[in-house]
Amino acid sequence: MTSKSTIIEPWLEEELENEDCALDGNYIYFLNADTIASSSSYGSVNVFKICYNENGEIGMKKGTVWKNIHSFENGESNLCTSITSYDQDIVSVGEDGRINLLTLSSESIVRTYDNADSCSIKCALFLKHNEILTSNLRGQLKIWDLQSRCEEPSSTFMLSGDIVAPTCLTSHPTHRHLVVAGDEEGSITIWDLRQNTYPVNMLRAHEESVMEIQFHPDYPDHLFSSSSSGEIWHWSVKPKLSADYVFDNLAGKDKNMVWFASDAFKNKLEVFTLMDKLHKPINTFDVNQARVLCGCDNEAIYLISGINLDKY
Amino acid sequence: METDINTILIPSKLCNRAGVSLAWKPCNDLGIFAYERKHSGAQDKPSQYYPTSEASVFHVRQDVILFRPILRKLINESNGTFLNLQELLARKSTNTQEEMLNFSRQYRSIIRACLESLQEDIARSKSEADKDELQNYITIFYSIECIWHLCEILFIDSTPGNVVLPHLLEWVRFHFPKYERNAAEMLCENQEELEMKPEYWPTIIGLMMQGRVRIARGLLKQHSAADTRAFLLVDQCLKAMPQFDVYSGLSASEFHLQWQHWVMDIQSKIDAKSFASHKNLELLMKIVVKDELAWSEIKKHFETWYELLPAWLFYAEPSVKSYELGTFAKYCIRQMGLENKLKHLDTVLLAAMEYDLLEVIKEIQKMSENGWFATHLANLLYHSGQLTVLEKDVDNFSAKALQEFLIVDYGTMLMGHKSLWQVGLSYLDHCSESGIHIIELLLPRVPVDNEYKAQKIIREAVKRELHHIAQFVCKVQGMKCVKRGRLGSALTWALKSQDSTLVSLLANRFLKDYAANGKLRNTDLLFNLGPTMLSSDRLIFLGKYYEFHKLYQDRQFQEAGKLLIKLLESKIIPKYFWYILLLETIPLLESEDIIFSSNDTYMIINFMEENQFDERIKDKLDVLRLATARNLSRAVLYESELN
Repeated sequence: MTSKSTIIEPWLEEELENEDCALDGNYIYFLNADTIASSSSYGSVNVFKICYNENGEIGMKKGTVWKNIHSFENGESNLCTSITSYDQDIVSVGEDGRINLLTLSSESIVRTYDNADSCSIKCALFLKHNEILTSNLRGQLKIWDLQSRCEEPSSTFMLSGDIVAPTCLTSHPTHRHLVVAGDEEGSITIWDLRQNTYPVNMLRAHEESVMEIQFHPDYPDHLFSSSSSGEIWHWSVKPKLSADYVFDNLAGKDKNMVWFASDAFKNKLEVFTLMDKLHKPINTFDVNQARVLCGCDNEAIYLISGINLDKY
Repeated sequence: METDINTILIPSKLCNRAGVSLAWKPCNDLGIFAYERKHSGAQDKPSQYYPTSEASVFHVRQDVILFRPILRKLINESNGTFLNLQELLARKSTNTQEEMLNFSRQYRSIIRACLESLQEDIARSKSEADKDELQNYITIFYSIECIWHLCEILFIDSTPGNVVLPHLLEWVRFHFPKYERNAAEMLCENQEELEMKPEYWPTIIGLMMQGRVRIARGLLKQHSAADTRAFLLVDQCLKAMPQFDVYSGLSASEFHLQWQHWVMDIQSKIDAKSFASHKNLELLMKIVVKDELAWSEIKKHFETWYELLPAWLFYAEPSVKSYELGTFAKYCIRQMGLENKLKHLDTVLLAAMEYDLLEVIKEIQKMSENGWFATHLANLLYHSGQLTVLEKDVDNFSAKALQEFLIVDYGTMLMGHKSLWQVGLSYLDHCSESGIHIIELLLPRVPVDNEYKAQKIIREAVKRELHHIAQFVCKVQGMKCVKRGRLGSALTWALKSQDSTLVSLLANRFLKDYAANGKLRNTDLLFNLGPTMLSSDRLIFLGKYYEFHKLYQDRQFQEAGKLLIKLLESKIIPKYFWYILLLETIPLLESEDIIFSSNDTYMIINFMEENQFDERIKDKLDVLRLATARNLSRAVLYESELN
């Protein structure tokens, strides 16, 4: 679940569970403060609107439904694996290797790349209004120019030499060309897509598969990651460096931004664990202000507050 | 064995007539279908029930109450505690009693939390059936908590000198909280004439029974006649009550003496009719001195024998030792006239008080919460050394085997649930050898709904070094993708499974597809195959052939030519593909620059002549011959010039 709303309240999950449609929790994504898109195992994308009735109680209203936009040749149901959005535009990808471009203002599909990938696509991420990044089961990452007529990606690169599938993709809130991926082996890889498609940095982070990575939306010096071994970590730039970073930024040298620093990168970061290790995968989390909300395979949702985001 | 057998009627006429047979589905499911038994010598003909429209398979499943959403929290939370405990044990060999007690309390607080949420739910539920069901769960988990608490007192939290009474009183207060609750309410209200309330005296007596003397005195002071002589005297007596405390430095015999004095003092006051003015006060004092009549009168206040037991001990045997409990428990059961009316909970509690741990574990397995209780309690008792002690007394008993058996059972059950299978795994991890074998059997049978789940299963397999299981799951995924027409995904899964046969099969599909359509599909996949290419000859060929295509497209004809020759020389060309390679040489032979040397050309000619009678190149044979001849002449001339 990715949220851009200002306050996270636990009731939301509960409301979602009460919905009778196919919300089997594959992927839920906040398009804006009161609109949610969700993907289902049946290859559909549903939009919900949060609304308030006269008594101020919160409810949900069903919006557009794009049914079965992901399907296999033999008609088997197919998982829509990820959704990403930019303003009104939504992109959905699935195990059928298809990319669908949707928009909130229309019930029809704007554009479909039928054979975008011969593997299943695992993650998708909007880089710009006209550019998306997808990653597949084989660890290939592809950048697609949505305006180009060509049905081929504008560039393709690998996560690593072996078949290691990225499990999550995210980009820096202010520097969108800075892309971070977590993978099955627990590593975190960072690219600067302006320069080339070789990773700038790679961290051996978690013991097991990384499940989700996210920058803090307001304090991008802070990165959060969760893993299938039940860890949730808070990465922050060491105080001194943070000051440098601010200074450099003032001088207009964002190249010195710590995420790009290749030499002794690890030494510039501090890692905190936010919670005692849970014993099951932490599938997803979201960060907002000083709070982190995470969902774990032990069927529980945890709200961690009081996260230290001090600017030194 | 329990004798109550559950009969399930299969609602099918065919089954009724023909008879049934059944097959296990992994974990909890049974598939039941109509089946007629035939001898091996019977004639081969359609059965007498043929044809039939009624060929159903009925699934029968054990009803697991733990799978109800409201109880799943209990499963998940206790799993966390269980794993923390095992981790702690793995870290260090000796475990202190303190830590064990701590874990026991964690488990109990989880049960308490569960009870609370059940109670909230019962208040919210609307239908009677729901209420009954929830009430049933409350009864079950209430008993569990009650037994666990007692076991904690007796087996885990052993106090110095085996002094058990303070804990027992606490236990009883915990489970019969109404007196304390009433007292608190009454004291808070601060009303005049509290004694007018019907529950005033029962509450005071109840408090006295639970050893809450000070609160009882507090209530007595609120009586409107509290200033009279009788009340003051009672207060004085109660205030002087000797308290037994191991840490006070008083020996048991000294305390006994003190106690005797105190009792005699009160007895003399009763004999002097000091309390005769107040019936209730006199009763109270008579209870304190164990007056039989008085005790038989207040028996009606007790709901059960185990409520009576601590009360009676408090006045009769304040320094009782834990190993004497059994005798007193039986005495109390007799007092309450329950000898033949013991319920399940009673038997378990009695067994615990008699320190018959085996009996306790045997009995709690009969409780209908699917083994949660027995598993966790036995595990905790085993690790605090209580079960191992029994090995000396009981033949053929292995404490380790017992607790592992329970864990296996519990873990296997959880494996059958779609979202609790990971919890099940974490239990099976903790039963030495049998666990890993069971995982080996069950893990590949966990239903795979999508790739996300497949990856989770693979991760769990790899974590346990069950690489063959991981490969098996990959293979299954691969075949699924083939069925769905997703050859690219299929190849990826096949590569992950490291099954070279499957990889070859898929590579063949790609090549045949190309041979038929002249278009290479899934090129994004073939790009950058990397070292994985080596897993099958056919894939190497496919990868190299794709490389050739790419070079050709990029107009790097020299490199393309070299690669083509290498491919022709290699022994890995599929039978159905060599002619395509041969045809690919034509444009290169005819190109402006000389690409093939004379040796290369001889090789091509040889290859061509070997296969000249093949139908597939018959038409092109002339073109090929011409092209090779021309190229040969060019190459020979060029090479001679160079020399």
